Amino acid sequence: MKLLAQLVNGLALGAGYALLAVGWTVLLSAARLVNFAHGQLYMVGAFVTWFVMAHLGVPYLLAAVIAVLVVAALGALMQLSMTRLTLDQNIVNLMLVTLAFGYLLQGGAALVFGGNPQVIDSPLQAHTVALSSARFTLQDVLIVVMAFVMYGGTVYVLGRTNLGRVVRGVAEDPKLAQLYGINAARVYLGVFVFSAASVALAGVVVAPRSPILTSIGFEEVIITFLVVVLGGIGNLKGGLVVGLGLGVFVALFGAYVSPAYAMAAAFAVLLVVLVVRPQGLGTR
Amino acid sequence: MTVTSSDHTASGQPVSATGTPGAIGGRRRLGGPLRALGWVALLIVGYLLPTLLGGGNQIYTTFVLVAIFAIMSYGNDVVLSYLGEVSLGHTLFWAAGAYTTAMVTVRSGWAPLPALLLALVVAVVLALVLGLATLRTREFVFSLVTYAAAIIGLTVVSSSDALGGSDGLVGVPLLTLPAMGGQYVVRTNADLWPIAFLLLVLVIALIARFRRSRLGATALMAQMNGDLATSMGVDVRRTRVLVFVLSAPVTALAGWLYAYQRSYVSPDLLSSFFLLFMLTAVILPGRRQLLGPLVGAALLTGQQQLASFGGDADKIVLGGVLAAVLLLSPNGLVGIWHALARRARRRPGTAEAPAGAPAPEAAASADPANRTH
Repeated sequence: MKLLAQLVNGLALGAGYALLAVGWTVLLSAARLVNFAHGQLYMVGAFVTWFVMAHLGVPYLLAAVIAVLVVAALGALMQLSMTRLTLDQNIVNLMLVTLAFGYLLQGGAALVFGGNPQVIDSPLQAHTVALSSARFTLQDVLIVVMAFVMYGGTVYVLGRTNLGRVVRGVAEDPKLAQLYGINAARVYLGVFVFSAASVALAGVVVAPRSPILTSIGFEEVIITFLVVVLGGIGNLKGGLVVGLGLGVFVALFGAYVSPAYAMAAAFAVLLVVLVVRPQGLGTR
Repeated sequence: MTVTSSDHTASGQPVSATGTPGAIGGRRRLGGPLRALGWVALLIVGYLLPTLLGGGNQIYTTFVLVAIFAIMSYGNDVVLSYLGEVSLGHTLFWAAGAYTTAMVTVRSGWAPLPALLLALVVAVVLALVLGLATLRTREFVFSLVTYAAAIIGLTVVSSSDALGGSDGLVGVPLLTLPAMGGQYVVRTNADLWPIAFLLLVLVIALIARFRRSRLGATALMAQMNGDLATSMGVDVRRTRVLVFVLSAPVTALAGWLYAYQRSYVSPDLLSSFFLLFMLTAVILPGRRQLLGPLVGAALLTGQQQLASFGGDADKIVLGGVLAAVLLLSPNGLVGIWHALARRARRRPGTAEAPAGAPAPEAAASADPANRTH
């Protein structure tokens, strides 16, 4: 049965989309920041994983930790250079700077990692599980589990903990939060580093599904847009639901209509939603 | 309304919204005739520059590319400088201009001028659809959607057989224009230069006209204080869509020229290179300068043509320049220039009294351009 197979495939795909978007959702809701280098950070996360596995013989799990740390450090560098723009909430220049960073990362990665497609040899990718007519790998299971863990953890931390209250306070009014002794610059740094680390994690678990190139990242950015905007800007639960739904939509559209135009179709849905409901599908 | 608009543009130099005090102050205004004479001299020198530089093939190629990329950047300049929005979808109009031209000339044998007309119409229609769809979106959602539109354009173009797929369309015929007593056939970049130069001048004239127009003033007002503009009866959304729609055919015109310059089109027109190029060309010299995008395009094209380090390193150069300008001197080279000029003016006075009261105050009120030392 083709439908079941595509539904399972779409679920894994969508969990990957949601995982890509979780960092940006937090960035938007907690700091009103955007990062157009998000997709390139995903690419760097995937390539660092591949590099330390293929060249240094590091096992997958340790490679994952290294990749997340490297990208988190990159994120910290980016945010430290942008602190002034962030505190000014200069969104136009922030968009442009992060776009430039993304291009820098792409050029830099091409110089360091070369222009050939590579494959991350995750041991989980080799284990195929058959469920009725649907087949999936343990890697797919890991993606779905990771997506739920990340969303659950983030919702809990932002909603229930002191740290979450501080972050929400800065999001609401950075100047007022500073009057209460909160270091807004440090909160922005923390949120940005979390966002970078989470997209690196997405790179580590999602990228083994297909060959990677240093030019990837742009499609990942639109997927993130779609999830973030359709889910209702900064709405975490909406993001997870939309991510999963988008994955199923892309899988079904790819299987029954045309794989090449699946993204274009998803974008057409976005345009319609923007005209009808500019605030997104999620309700707050 | 009318008063405000003339205030903004009395010196052809609108008030800065990015908070640079006195960035424009002190510019002496030339008398009308003298100023016109200056422009004529600039035109003549500009036109003859490639010949004066030796007139080799590479010189002409570089100059033609500068003109094409400058026109391309002027389209985005209108949106970025006057509307204060970041359009990441202008590569779509650029590619629409080039692809429309290639489609109808290669497949249907159209002449260049009807092809140009159709290219402009296609760009306007695309901009209308995108502009109306993003009517109610806030600043970064606008950028996201325009960016997504460009990437979708890339996937559609690369996978559509009708548009040549990833190979693109080859064999755009020579640019042939009706001329007095026959035809003007463009065989080399030297032949293309007069046309590219003329179109560049027309585009700059259009931008100058736009800066003085009511639409230009309204756009600036909407950018600086949307609520105030609305309370004064300005339809901000309508202004945004109008400016966006105006910008699209400018960039598409460059696409038309580029299709003839290269004689083929391919999906790389939609690559992020051209997007980064047009944004950097506007931002590097400083936003809202009439000749800014031309200077920016000349600097970037010069580096790519004459001092290239190879594709990936050039990406680092382009991305690095854009990031560095925004982080160190958001007002671009003009900002640095004004900061230096301020410092030079202050020096005689502060030599005796270095800790004088005005100095720190001036430094604090000055923009981050000061941090470049």
